[in-house]
Amino acid sequence: MAAAARRGEAIDPYARADRPALSVTLRPNCSLTRGGAGWVLGLAAAGLAVPLLPVAGTAVAWGMLPFLAGALLLLYWALRRNVLDGRLTEELRLWPDLITVVRREASGAERRWHANPFWVRLRLLDGERVEKYLTLEGNGREIELGAFLSPGERQSLHDDLAAALARLRT
Amino acid sequence: MADATHAHVDHHDHPGFFTRWFMSTNHKDIGILYIVTAAFLGLVAVAFSMYMRLELMHPGVQYMVVDGEPNGHIWNVLITGHGVLMMFFVVIPALFGGFGNYFMPLMIGAPDMAFPRLNNLSYWLFVAGSTLAILSVLAPGGDGLSGTGVGWVLYAPLSTTESGMSMDLAIFAVHLSGASSILGAINMITTFMNMRAPGMTLHKVPLFAWSIMVTAFMILLALPVLAGAITMLLTDRNFGTTFFDPSGGGDPVLYQHILWFFGHPEVYIVIVPGFGIVSHVISTFSRKPIFGYLPMVYAMIAIGAIGFVVWAHHMYTVGMSLTQQSYFMLATMVIAVPTGVKIFSWIATMWGGSIEFKTPMLWAMGFLFLFTVGGVTGVVLSQAAIDRTYHDTYYVVAHFHYVMSLGAVFCIFAGVYYWIGKMTGRQYPEWAGKLHFWMMFVGANVTFFPQHFLGRQGMPRRYLDYPEQFALWNEVSSYGAFLSGASFLFFFWIVFYTVRYGQRVTEPAYWGPQPDPTLEWTLPNPPPAHTFETLPTPDMWDHPAGH
Repeated sequence: MAAAARRGEAIDPYARADRPALSVTLRPNCSLTRGGAGWVLGLAAAGLAVPLLPVAGTAVAWGMLPFLAGALLLLYWALRRNVLDGRLTEELRLWPDLITVVRREASGAERRWHANPFWVRLRLLDGERVEKYLTLEGNGREIELGAFLSPGERQSLHDDLAAALARLRT
Repeated sequence: MADATHAHVDHHDHPGFFTRWFMSTNHKDIGILYIVTAAFLGLVAVAFSMYMRLELMHPGVQYMVVDGEPNGHIWNVLITGHGVLMMFFVVIPALFGGFGNYFMPLMIGAPDMAFPRLNNLSYWLFVAGSTLAILSVLAPGGDGLSGTGVGWVLYAPLSTTESGMSMDLAIFAVHLSGASSILGAINMITTFMNMRAPGMTLHKVPLFAWSIMVTAFMILLALPVLAGAITMLLTDRNFGTTFFDPSGGGDPVLYQHILWFFGHPEVYIVIVPGFGIVSHVISTFSRKPIFGYLPMVYAMIAIGAIGFVVWAHHMYTVGMSLTQQSYFMLATMVIAVPTGVKIFSWIATMWGGSIEFKTPMLWAMGFLFLFTVGGVTGVVLSQAAIDRTYHDTYYVVAHFHYVMSLGAVFCIFAGVYYWIGKMTGRQYPEWAGKLHFWMMFVGANVTFFPQHFLGRQGMPRRYLDYPEQFALWNEVSSYGAFLSGASFLFFFWIVFYTVRYGQRVTEPAYWGPQPDPTLEWTLPNPPPAHTFETLPTPDMWDHPAGH
């Protein structure tokens, strides 16, 4: 752990030698792949270069360059920022005597929750605005889980987690 | 992770009037703001054209007179104002900013735009730009009078030598409009690429969302070129540079090349979102999925791509080599292929369908007719030899009004009538929508069809007077313009009546089951402020028969 801290990596307060019975990392939907982003930027760069090539070496090229380069940089910034904003994870791990959830925000901030799996209560509720709202209650707190997932994904997570909890309790 | 709040599940926020409309970051509210602002500016631009048609109704100069003498500067200011407003501040903001903002995120199942505050900035830059555009009409300009009279293309050396600050204001107006469009385009591209609902691959995205994506990409590639060109105009005017001044080694024809490198894609930027709207309207009212979804998508991409390599057909007469003219002529004609794919796919969608002639369908069919007429005259004009005769005549005026202004404006009206129930929760009176359509359809054709004849007779554009020989068709054209103008005023009454007294529509899919279901029809009318905070699932929008 100390070595990890020295390397600047996030310290895992729930690190254990034994493997968890269930380990799930939840990520929000992101329809753009890294390759896709490369294509978009590549096409934009090629398209923006077209009007520049015929006037290359003339004063007019200098008049247009800041705007063409600026548009490309703005697009790069926007795609990067949007992908970084979506870099949010919720990691759930379940051992026979411990259940943990660590949420890592896009900013790098971390929020943690842990409880004894024997006493936790898993709930799936249908509200007016949120369909299949999934919560975990234990250790004096009730937290929401996978709020960024689709209702079907939350249903599936609920079923997997309920089955794993039932196995541990029997 | 957040603590669970069951109260949050049913939580709604109700911003006040000022917060909602002046500080909005909500894509639906910003979409409405774009449409309303564009409609107001459209009224100003239409008023300019009514005044121009009034002047052209009879030979001689009756109204544009200063100190008892005919004054061409007033005429020049009006055509410049009409062009700048329509090109930059009316049609694109309504289709791309308005419907694009409102419906593109809904159709792809995104909760909002990727950058809501950037979206707000885009809108207010557009407002600031349009304010400068209006101011440029009133500020001191050329010939010791108000306003700039160089035409919306701002050709050098006219634009670099005209006195007064009006020209500078017009340049700044276009600058702000360009900045607004580029920021909006980047927002749309990011939203479209990264925030599509799970399972919605690029080959399953609704056609309107695709049309917005293609438009956004064209804006991203074209507008920076314009920004560079007009910045150089500005420095030529004010800082002694000679980018476009031959006395200092510059080249005014180079300005035309750069302007039209932006200007021709601009034509497609205007019309492509309309393609998207018309596709949904025709499918809905033919009760058939759109014919040839993938060819429709790739036709839009092809039109967008080829649109960047045909610009010099606007300037055959500037002295290009025969080889250059031949290239631009052939490349221009090639655009007719993907355009034909779209026209025939729309007709094939209607073929054998159970067609219902509701108001949006009438506008879509009107668009098909007008766009096809304008497209055919475009193929005529694409021929460099024939263009020698038609260049700068009323034939060109008729052509571009048929494709762009009427084609695109008919798409705007198709969109308004198609979605007004969704946006306001109230439905327009069907008789009123149909009356509006017929007034506008007849009026527009009576206005612009005779202008083909005037062009063939040799009447040049950009003049406030003409010889007796052109009197008949000018008079007819003016009557058509007044009918269209009256229909536009009637449209404002219809919108007012609908919003205030229209019949409430509670059924989310109020046009009946959608042959190509899109996600906006799963939402209440009007949709709540926050939509799709929970991701939509493929069964809500996927329909194998449509693809």
